[in-house]
Amino acid sequence: MISHTALQTTNRVIAAIFGGYAFTWGLSALGITAMVTLGIDFHEAETGMTLVAFLVFLGLFLWTFASASMLRVWLILAGGAALMSLIASMLQTSLLS
Amino acid sequence: MFNSLRMSMGWVHTWMGLVLGFVLMICFFFGALSVFDREIDRWAIPDTRFEPQPMPSFDEVLKPVFEQLKPHPLDMAATAERVIGPLPDPATMKLESVYAYTTHRDPVLRIGGEFGIPNQPKDPADDHLHVHGWATVNPTTGETLSSDALKIGSEWFYPMHFNLHLTWKMLGYWIVGLAALVMLAALVTGVIIHRKLFSEFFTFRPWKHVLRSSLDLHNITGVVALPFHFFFAFTALVIFASNVYLPLSYTMLKSLHDQHEQLEAERTGLPHDKSGVAAQMASVDAMVAEAKRRWAERDMPGEVGYLFIDHLGDENSYVSIYRAGSDRVALVGEGIHFKASTGEVIREQPPRSVVSSINEFLTGLHLQHFEHWMLRWLYVFGGLMGSICIATGFVLFVEKRKAKHAKACSQGSRIVDALAVTTVTGMVMAALGMLVANRLLPVDLVGKGQWEQNIFWSIWALAFLHAAWRSSPVAKARHNPAWRDQSLLIGMLSLAAVVLNWITTGDHLIKTVFTDTYWAVAGVDLSLLATSLIAFYAAAKLRAPVVEQKKTDTALNRNKQVNAYD
Amino acid sequence: MTEAMWLIAAMMTALLSMGWLALSYESHWQQVFPKSASKPELKRLKAAGWAGLLVSAVCSLVADHPSMAVLVWVMLLALASMTIAMILSRRPTLLRMICPPFFVANA
Repeated sequence: MISHTALQTTNRVIAAIFGGYAFTWGLSALGITAMVTLGIDFHEAETGMTLVAFLVFLGLFLWTFASASMLRVWLILAGGAALMSLIASMLQTSLLS
Repeated sequence: MFNSLRMSMGWVHTWMGLVLGFVLMICFFFGALSVFDREIDRWAIPDTRFEPQPMPSFDEVLKPVFEQLKPHPLDMAATAERVIGPLPDPATMKLESVYAYTTHRDPVLRIGGEFGIPNQPKDPADDHLHVHGWATVNPTTGETLSSDALKIGSEWFYPMHFNLHLTWKMLGYWIVGLAALVMLAALVTGVIIHRKLFSEFFTFRPWKHVLRSSLDLHNITGVVALPFHFFFAFTALVIFASNVYLPLSYTMLKSLHDQHEQLEAERTGLPHDKSGVAAQMASVDAMVAEAKRRWAERDMPGEVGYLFIDHLGDENSYVSIYRAGSDRVALVGEGIHFKASTGEVIREQPPRSVVSSINEFLTGLHLQHFEHWMLRWLYVFGGLMGSICIATGFVLFVEKRKAKHAKACSQGSRIVDALAVTTVTGMVMAALGMLVANRLLPVDLVGKGQWEQNIFWSIWALAFLHAAWRSSPVAKARHNPAWRDQSLLIGMLSLAAVVLNWITTGDHLIKTVFTDTYWAVAGVDLSLLATSLIAFYAAAKLRAPVVEQKKTDTALNRNKQVNAYD
Repeated sequence: MTEAMWLIAAMMTALLSMGWLALSYESHWQQVFPKSASKPELKRLKAAGWAGLLVSAVCSLVADHPSMAVLVWVMLLALASMTIAMILSRRPTLLRMICPPFFVANA
């Protein structure tokens, strides 16, 4: 038997690690493509995003444990990740054409 | 699930800190050793105990060495799995690019190169297909070092702290990366749940009961070195970000990245591809002289840290020469690029942008190629503070729960305690045992380095078995005698290492400190002696089992006061 | 050689200042001196401590390139506070050395 609390805890740990990572990934992709669109050098943009990315990840990680609603956490982390990755892909396509 | 911010943060601190703490212990301890990795190399390979050398002449020393370079069997095997069809005979493969790398602490020089192959990759996206070769060269003779001579510092302790030697699917990197993130989280949550961050800034009360005194030590080692802990965990993530942790330019943004590479090659004039026309190479020594002249002109005279030649033997070949960043918080920089066939300058790297400078500082402060011995020792101090902080974290975890677990007949604290012994004293024993083995095994033993690695893992595994076997008192809320046993063993092993170094090489401390000063070896020996003293002192302190029992009982009574979160 | 002198100066001032800062806490003061301290005394110690830390930063900056000096200084602060904490836990009265009578009347 797995207790209710154990399930809740697992949910939070998974959201914090994988949800947080996915959001950070999407944010970095969006940040890089957006900066390249604005005329900034690709490697500059990439370096800039790596400096910010892990601080954002850290914030998301802690917020996942502090937040009252896990539904909201998942919506923002997964939704944000998907949305930002999608926009990044679109920006990349438009930059390459 | 949590009633307050404090409780949720306490949960993260305790449980994430515990689980990843075992990894963090390895990162901090072997990281601290890595500060002196080159010096440990000298200790382990007595043939290389001579003064650090600048980059040798390419035309006279390195050129013949590169002509001898062969594809490395390890990379042959790895590449064979990535390509369609069998690889050609390694003797016939043509060298396409070469590099040489050194720092102000290296008597020996690392070189390597890429060999071209005609095979197609199995995965079409897998470009840059080459077989790599590498070697370590003695620049005074031009001879290469035997690959059986394992550089224990830079090839074993150093990689251990960032990939745990778990290279399968980069698993080790990911585990360490998660540990680094959890370290950051543990620091932030630690500050949030700490009740008296400022008023107990200088407080350590060893005379109080175990729970209180180890909490003091946990707090103080965490707080005084907080910037060190934060920036080392953070920069660890930044260093591997673009290659390992967020490899966007190899995956999702590969097309954009590749387009940028092409544009960059056009802009800088450094050819991205071969021309197919063969060409001779002009004197590289003359290019090095020109690079040094240009650095001096910019008021930053320096030595060559990194030399790279691409498209070897082709009309498009170019030579890149980078300055060693010994006097800055940087690795190498101020690159100057030459056309290989004529020796004319193609491009001088412009000063760094703001973002790139910040990145250089952050990665440079972690990778520490600078020449500053005091800062190196301060980093060792920081690493040891981190190790103590994590180790006392384990002690706190066990001390808080063992009485409760004993009542409930649970083995929880016992398991954690056995793992803590393994990752604290067991790890130190494994490292020391490896050094002892290094001095005992004959120099010409085939596969000496592999033997040393096997001994390292065996000692660590034995340390775990010993800790587990001796840990039954913990389940009865008492103290695990394995801590003392292993402290004694650490004391003996480190003493043995110093004595064996003397017997096998004749380099005793009077010689290495006074008569024929060689600080690299003297420093390792002195550190081993200090380790030995501390370990024997700890073992002596850990004796008194009666007092220990009393302390545990008191701790049980006071549990309620300190137990802020559980 | 002058570089080494400046580094030693940075280290010593960091140690001294951390000592004063520690003594500016009533609880640590009581570990070191029999009589209790007056409010202005504690304030003076605190001010001297912070000023000393600044001096130690300046010494580090004279010794090294600023990027390196920052790292040296931050690490020196850690070493100095740890040393003071250890002195306080083992031989607290040693800290009387850094409190000459003209500076701390109650000593």
